Formats: sequence, structure tokens, C-alpha cells
Amino acid sequence: MKRVVISGVGAVSPLGGDVPSLVGGIEEGKSAVRYMEGWDRYVGLRSLVAAPAELKNEKAIPRKSRRSMGRMSVFAVQATEQALADAEVGREVLSSDRIGCIIGSTMGSAESLCEAFETMLPERDLSKLTAMKFFQCVSHTAAMNVAQYLGITGYVMATSAACASSLQAIGAGYDLVRMGKQDLVLCGGSEELHPTVTASFDILFATSTGYNDDPQRTPRPFDAERDGLVVGEGCGMVVLEEYERALERGAKTYGEIIGYHTGGSGDHVTQSNRESIVRCIGAALSSAGISAAEVDYINAHGTATRHGDEVEAQAIREVFGDAVPVSSLKGYFGHTLGASGALELIASLAMMEKGVIYPTLNLETVDEGCKGIRHVMRPLRSEIGVLMKNCFAFGGINAALVCRRLER
Amino acid sequence: MQRRLAEQEVVATINEVLEDYFEIEREKLLPEMNIFEDLELDSLDIVDLVVAMQEKFGVRIRDDERIRSIRTLGDIYQFVLALQEEGFSGRP
Repeated sequence: MKRVVISGVGAVSPLGGDVPSLVGGIEEGKSAVRYMEGWDRYVGLRSLVAAPAELKNEKAIPRKSRRSMGRMSVFAVQATEQALADAEVGREVLSSDRIGCIIGSTMGSAESLCEAFETMLPERDLSKLTAMKFFQCVSHTAAMNVAQYLGITGYVMATSAACASSLQAIGAGYDLVRMGKQDLVLCGGSEELHPTVTASFDILFATSTGYNDDPQRTPRPFDAERDGLVVGEGCGMVVLEEYERALERGAKTYGEIIGYHTGGSGDHVTQSNRESIVRCIGAALSSAGISAAEVDYINAHGTATRHGDEVEAQAIREVFGDAVPVSSLKGYFGHTLGASGALELIASLAMMEKGVIYPTLNLETVDEGCKGIRHVMRPLRSEIGVLMKNCFAFGGINAALVCRRLER
Repeated sequence: MQRRLAEQEVVATINEVLEDYFEIEREKLLPEMNIFEDLELDSLDIVDLVVAMQEKFGVRIRDDERIRSIRTLGDIYQFVLALQEEGFSGRP
């Protein structure tokens, strides 16, 4: 098996349009959560807070490429271009068949889907639909648009597993490079905020509804006063590259991926399942060939739902006890769903580089049910040699990735 | 059509669609321009151009065979003017 390193990162997040603004925002303890004007016109929508990202400079993408892109695909193109520039990989090498692109998301552009239905359904009239709506709405819209725009001719895939989408994308890319099927894969996830997206969680009683007047205090992962998740949006992209190739061209490396696993709970569509999470984490550690004691930091899924956080804390306690520092980043920029795995991994890699663990924002009083693990509640100076990133999605889909710092 | 438009109004409306939706520079909007070679539209753009024209002129032209023979911007102007001559007097 080949070794796989991360040689570039790119991000569009609620904290800003690049990686420095994402990491800097976290470092400063900023919250990108705000009250959403106009959302109160949706009858029955109780959660009126979200973490929007700013759509800007989209016209830098030529019209013919941009016409098939919804908001989430523009984010994906921008994050991918950043990651390529960061990795110093030129566009001229992308059409080699050995370079691929895997971008996950829960679904296609929510805004475009709504527009398509609003156009078509009132009069059951298809003649008003534009040709481009389809390409904005499909589940592989981000992967397809990025690949078309950049001329990628290797593997092009879209992992669609809700909140585990981008971690699955990175895991799939890791497997392709490891097995020698691709030399370099652009991996990540993209997601788009829309009231209908928040609504899909709201009707399941999974959203934060009690902080509409005080948005910066939610979400509150693992906190006694948490009341649900807050939806965010954006895109995180990483460049996965075969180790020798990266070494040969003198690429900088953010870390080496050494383990990954994903698996279903086979139990319930929304309720997290402790045993299956424990199994997933165990399988990821085992694929990395390390013990739980060798992990220095866990970047939790930690969405701030009552049930999810408790089960995650129990699972982490079962595997790691209270030895390993744990934090969730969702207090800073909400739950970016299909993008969360990649965005939070990028922030975690920055922690690894800086030797500091960023705390869980809004965690003030650890909930009784979430105790027994080592919560990071203020910035913690700590060398991170190995980190684990976890994602647990609706549909009972778990994913865990293990990364190791590479000595320069 | 909502009401009979003067030729200049038809031209201005079509040009506005090409400028706003297809981001074509105003200077290029001349009747002799080939919409594929000069204005760089493709078959997908034509679908969206038809949707935009249906909206702007209140006509239903998606299945009109004459669309297939359109080559220049002038052909589009003439096509809409011809539709007008045929007496599209209200929203279909």
C-alpha cells in the first residue's frame, strides 16, 4: 500500500472565504452564527439562527462554467482553487487521468431545487424550466462542476452521506491513492444553507430553537444548556497526494492519513448508536495500526443535539477514557453538514501545526451525560502527533479518519 | 404577446436578455453576429434563451421548429417579429 499525505487545503466557511479566516476566526473565539432575517415567514420553523457563508467573486468563474453551478458549487470551485494553489499544483497537470476529484454533499443546491419546484409545480408546467437547473440540483453537482471547470479526467465521484459526506470523500480518496489507482485526489465536501435545510432538521426537533434572540450562544456542543444544531454552509477541500510524489516535488505536507473507516449503524435513521460508533473508531484505529493511547486529539462531531452529543461522549469514553483532549468546532461556524468533516479536519490540521487545541465554543457547563471525557474548554497548548476526526450522519452512517503529523 | 411591440422594442428586449442572462457585451449585439460562433452560445444556452423569451414576450415557442434554423442574432429578432405578425395576442 502507498502512503497518502495532505499537501494542500482550501476553505470557504461562515468565518470567511479562505483557510486563514477559518483558523483565525476559531483562534479568536468568533461565532459566525446569526439571526436569519426573513426566516420567520416560514410557518412552523422554530430555529431562526444559522451560520451563512458569503458568496463573493463568483463572476471570476467564466459564465459557461458558472451557469451549471448553484451556490454550493461556487464554494467548491473556490475552495478547490485555493487547495491547488496551496499545494502548488498547476492546472496543466489536472487532465492526466491519474488525478481525481471526490466531493460530497447531502444533496444538490437547495436554492436551485426550491426554484425548480417553485417554477414547475404551481401550474405543472415544465416549459419554464431552464436547462441549467438539473445540473445545479443533482447530488454530484459540486464534484461534477469542479471536475468540468478544472478539466479533471481521473476519478470523479460524489459521496452523499449527509454529515459524513466529506469525511467519506476524503476516506475514498485515501483508499484510491493508497491502492495506487490515483496519484492525487481533490477531496472534500460542500453544502448550502437554505431555510428548507434547517427545516428538515427542525421538524425532527434536532435544531437549536431557544437562542433566536442570542444567536452567538448556540450551538453548545456537550453543554448542559445545549438545545440542538445550527446549520452552516461552505466547502472544505484537501489535496490528497501519494507520499513519494509529494516528497519528490518538495511539497509541503499538513499530515499523513494513516487510518480510516466508515460503517452503518444498522439501527436507527436518526438516533446515534454507541456500539456502532465504538466499532467505527476501533476499526479506524486498527487500520492505522495504532492504539487509542496514541491519539493526541479528537475533533468530535459534536453537533449539540441532546442525544447525539451524549452518545458520542459515551463512545469516546469507552474507547479513550478521559485521557485524550476532545473538542467540537460547531460552536464557531455551525454544522456545515456535508462540508463539516473537511472544514473541521482542515482546522484540526492547523491545530496540529500550531501545537494548540482550540476549545469547544459555548461549552460552559459539561452536561452530566457528556462527562467522563477530556473536554477542552479553553485553548490548550499541546503537541498533536496523531489526531482523529469523527463524523456521524443521519441515516446511521459513521466515519472516522486518523492523521499523523509528518516531521519536516 | 401582451401587446404589439415596435421592432426596436423587440430588439432591445432580446439584447437585454443576452446582456443580462448570457453576459454578452453590448458591442457584440449586432444582427449579423452568429449566435454560436460569435456570441459563443451552445445548445444548452438555446434552451435557456427560449425560456427567457417565453417569459419576456409571453409566448410558447419551445416546440417551434423554426428555432432550429436560427443562426444569427438577426434571425432571433425576425423570429420574434414573425411570431408577432402571426398574432400571438395573449399569453398562451
